[in-house]
Amino acid sequence: MRYSTRLVIFISLIPFIDLNLRAFGFYGGLGANPIETMIRTNGIWGLRILIATLMLAPFNRYSGLEIFRQLAKPLGLVSLFYILGHFLSYAIIDQSGDLKVVIVNIIETPYLIVGWGGFLCLLSVGAMSFKSLQPWYKKNRSTISGIVYSSAVLGTWHYYWNTKTIETEALIYCLIVCILVLWKVKVTQEKL
Amino acid sequence: MTLKIRKENQIKSFEITPEQSYINRRSLIKSIGILSANPFFSNAFADNNIPNQKPLDFIKNNQYSTTEPVNSFEDIITYNNYYEFGLDKTDPYRFSTKFKPFPWTITVTGEAENTGDFNYEDIILTNKLEERIYRLRCVEAWSMVIPWIGIPLVDIIKKFKPTSNAKYVAFETVYRPDEMPGQRRRNLDWPYVEGLTIEEATHPLSLLAVGLYGRELPNQNGAPLRLVVPWKYGFKSIKSIVKIHFQEKQPPTTWNLAAANEYGFYANVNPEVNHPRWSQARERRLGSGFYGAKQPTLLFNGYADEVGYLYSDLDLKKYF
Repeated sequence: MRYSTRLVIFISLIPFIDLNLRAFGFYGGLGANPIETMIRTNGIWGLRILIATLMLAPFNRYSGLEIFRQLAKPLGLVSLFYILGHFLSYAIIDQSGDLKVVIVNIIETPYLIVGWGGFLCLLSVGAMSFKSLQPWYKKNRSTISGIVYSSAVLGTWHYYWNTKTIETEALIYCLIVCILVLWKVKVTQEKL
Repeated sequence: MTLKIRKENQIKSFEITPEQSYINRRSLIKSIGILSANPFFSNAFADNNIPNQKPLDFIKNNQYSTTEPVNSFEDIITYNNYYEFGLDKTDPYRFSTKFKPFPWTITVTGEAENTGDFNYEDIILTNKLEERIYRLRCVEAWSMVIPWIGIPLVDIIKKFKPTSNAKYVAFETVYRPDEMPGQRRRNLDWPYVEGLTIEEATHPLSLLAVGLYGRELPNQNGAPLRLVVPWKYGFKSIKSIVKIHFQEKQPPTTWNLAAANEYGFYANVNPEVNHPRWSQARERRLGSGFYGAKQPTLLFNGYADEVGYLYSDLDLKKYF
């Protein structure tokens, strides 16, 4: 792995390190609602890094720099890492690990269904990193990339839907994801 | 029933979180200065939560106070929904320092004999203040226990002598975008407005709070005076009130205007009526630690014996 790649991965893990330091009481701790802080921090960074990962493709195409292509897989996995933390802190800490309660809660709550869908998409793509699945992955590249875009759409939707008022940050992510999806559609059509 | 009479020998709220302990914690945090250079989080707590509010003279009202453990002063002043100062829970704590609660004038209008502008000192400080420890249940499914200092709202309302046409009381929060950065963005329709029926407003549980933890209200908690209606979701307890209007028709309320299908006029705490996007059956009591399980939410936030009669004829699912 190139040093630049390692550096980017390290930077992308700073929020995780920060969260852990806070969990151990450093500089202000996790605040009055530590569980919410854990769920939200993991979720928002997972989404930010996922969107950043999708932005790598146009960057690579128009700059020709290989680094953008090489970063896609490790950054995507970092995003999955955060989203896994997001889901597990919700399921294990917030809902006390009661699987029945988690499932009922997800089914009853529309924005959780959407988030769950996005999580499953990302998880299935992450599984492609296993060596045994690589040949299958190489044959189905376009499907897989479609699933990654779906997970970004669902994740942004989940975030947007969870806020009580219309928040600027959620709107910005919606806009970026829309542009990325349209770009992807355009590029795919040009290839055909 | 959860309301219990407090025994005299019980621990006083001030003794639960001694001031010095959180002041000390601040300086410890400050000493780890190098870590606060982190670019990802700027909400490391600064020094502005050291209480500089004036201590208040008050009596304890045990009749209406819960005996549940009180949340720490730090929790109460660093975790707030006060969109006038920003959307994040820590924003009101961080961005309310410019707000000047004094001098303060309350304008009373509408169906009442004694209307006009009233100084905070004349209308509030002429009353005997009392401490009431109430549960606060947020519509977002978290809750706290807060030792408020205030005056029964009914005592204030009596001074204005509302007429028989006064079926509702409308309240309005101050609009000061210069001092309230959240008001410079249109996340909600400013100024914030709320309302109660006259029966709710004159119910003995309704409190006009001017302080907490024995001192004047911090800015982020709604200084200098706010409503506390403990059987309703927190957003009904409007902060920094400048206008009180008595009227015959039901007044508009800010969250209802923002999303009528999600926030009703009554907004009574009710585990049976879910928010369209999340369940209201359980709540997280803040301060219960990392692994504290969620607890069941009670009808009218546990005040059903006191306020249930107000709604005996009301379809709570329709009028949520």
